[in-house]
Amino acid sequence: MSNEIWVLIEKARQGENIAAISRELLGKGRQLADASGAPLAALVLGAGVGALAERAFAYGADKAYVVDDPALAQYTTDGFVGAAAALAQKYQPQLVLTGASFQMRDFSGALAAELGVGLAADATNLAIDGDQISATRPSHGGNVVNTLVFGAARPAVVSVRKQSFAEAAEQAGRTGEVLSEPLPAVAIRTKVTNVAPKQGAVNLADASIIVSGGRGLGNAENYFKLIPPLAESVGGAYGASRAVVDAGWVPYEHQVGQTGKTVSPKLYVACGISGAIQHLAGMRTSRTIVAINKDPEAPIFRVASYGVVGDVNELLPLLTNEIKKRASH
Amino acid sequence: MHIVVCMKQVPRDNSVKINADLSINAEGIEQIMNLFDEYAVEEALQWNEKLGGKVTVLSLGPDEWKDQIRRALAMGATDSLLLNDPSFAKLDVLGAAKAVAAAIKKLGDVDLVIAGRNSTDDESGAFGPALARALGWAQLTYVGKFLDISDSAKKIVVERHLEEQIETVEAGLPVVATVVKDINEPRYPSLLRIKKVAKVEIPTWGAADLGVSADGTAASITARVPPPPRPKGELVEGADGAEKVRKLVDKLMENQVI
Repeated sequence: MSNEIWVLIEKARQGENIAAISRELLGKGRQLADASGAPLAALVLGAGVGALAERAFAYGADKAYVVDDPALAQYTTDGFVGAAAALAQKYQPQLVLTGASFQMRDFSGALAAELGVGLAADATNLAIDGDQISATRPSHGGNVVNTLVFGAARPAVVSVRKQSFAEAAEQAGRTGEVLSEPLPAVAIRTKVTNVAPKQGAVNLADASIIVSGGRGLGNAENYFKLIPPLAESVGGAYGASRAVVDAGWVPYEHQVGQTGKTVSPKLYVACGISGAIQHLAGMRTSRTIVAINKDPEAPIFRVASYGVVGDVNELLPLLTNEIKKRASH
Repeated sequence: MHIVVCMKQVPRDNSVKINADLSINAEGIEQIMNLFDEYAVEEALQWNEKLGGKVTVLSLGPDEWKDQIRRALAMGATDSLLLNDPSFAKLDVLGAAKAVAAAIKKLGDVDLVIAGRNSTDDESGAFGPALARALGWAQLTYVGKFLDISDSAKKIVVERHLEEQIETVEAGLPVVATVVKDINEPRYPSLLRIKKVAKVEIPTWGAADLGVSADGTAASITARVPPPPRPKGELVEGADGAEKVRKLVDKLMENQVI
């Protein structure tokens, strides 16, 4: 077994760089590699993706395993897991890190099962201590924080939640060793016949500021009159509680909580949201939480960094104006 | 067409406590069908209405989970199966998937397995992928629409609803699919049907029936704690709304939050 640490590299949706999550994983991977004297390797799978290896070197990878094959032009579980599993069996890394997007959950779960090794899904931290690898992952809507210690089988597979680690700094001119590998003979049993952008997609998980509205706004008209403008004034995205999504005010895409999205922005503004435990599950790890609600007993105030008691329909227009006023100064 | 729905019972909310042995204590919290699995049941029933055949609702869990199995039967599932064995309590998600795979192989004639995209308690989302691998079947995760399922051609076409894009994907049956929220509107079981299934015998298989052993997990939980408390917050007060808002913006700017 080698002691290599692997990071599955994803391309940024726009531009030619690697995705933010890959830069975060390389940042943490570099730390772990330096502390344990292990090489850090990028795993680059796709078609025409050679340049991503160079980007990964600039962000700290020592080497890159590249499988560049037209059959990997689209993500398929069989293609990506087949390629990664064959490489892992050949080179025996101790740890494989991936993001925790839907596609990466599809990949990491299947890879761990394919290799018969342990998995920590949606981890927020991990550590290597000698032979022991452990990961921290929340469950139960963030109400339980689990520490998992991997058994002897390697590699440990860990999918990591966005924004858990700082991005690696770019080091221009840094290079590494490229190992090109052929795609092994795997049957790709699914065929992607179309990929379309999602209409009205909002990637709340990427937003650094989120303004969410709840039932306290009274109706859908008030929601749209007040929430998107406030979000816009601070350069943020807008979210919603399950209650108002179920009431049909806002599409499901915007729902934050146990059965919606889990977010961890720099600033979360909860407007007219009482703070049911299912909602808190989706946003309680936000760095700063502002709660505006007319009920001083609302549970949302228990997690708020700043609470304002009052009617959202009165306060939100004032808040949007105040922010715009300051921004223009 | 034989569709199996994998279903899990979960606490309605996650205000759970942690026992000394690190197991989860959900005492006093109502147990419900995992929300995403409820969509899986509904989807299976709708395709069963079109294609005929059987819908088997399958759970791996303790006897108490029969409550939600009965709910799925009352919704319209034709068959049920509980996998229950004292040794299963120790299974992690990958181990559970292996046991369920053994049961599905034993059933023999299954064309399609549908489950929710994840459970709302463990939230790993790894069950579907692990089950597909254990069965040696293809997987279609995060399905937001089943465009076509053909029994004669043994083919399936779905839309996978990812964060920012929708993929149209086709595959040959059998497959394991997992579904997202809002793929359909789950039906409420009628009182009549609830009564009808109240006494139905739910077949139960143990580890010996499946030929699986729950020997060791690939990763074990060594600590479980509540999340760290959030730093104490402050109430922003003022004579009127305008003053409160001014003070709030001051604080957000001082701390470089905006």
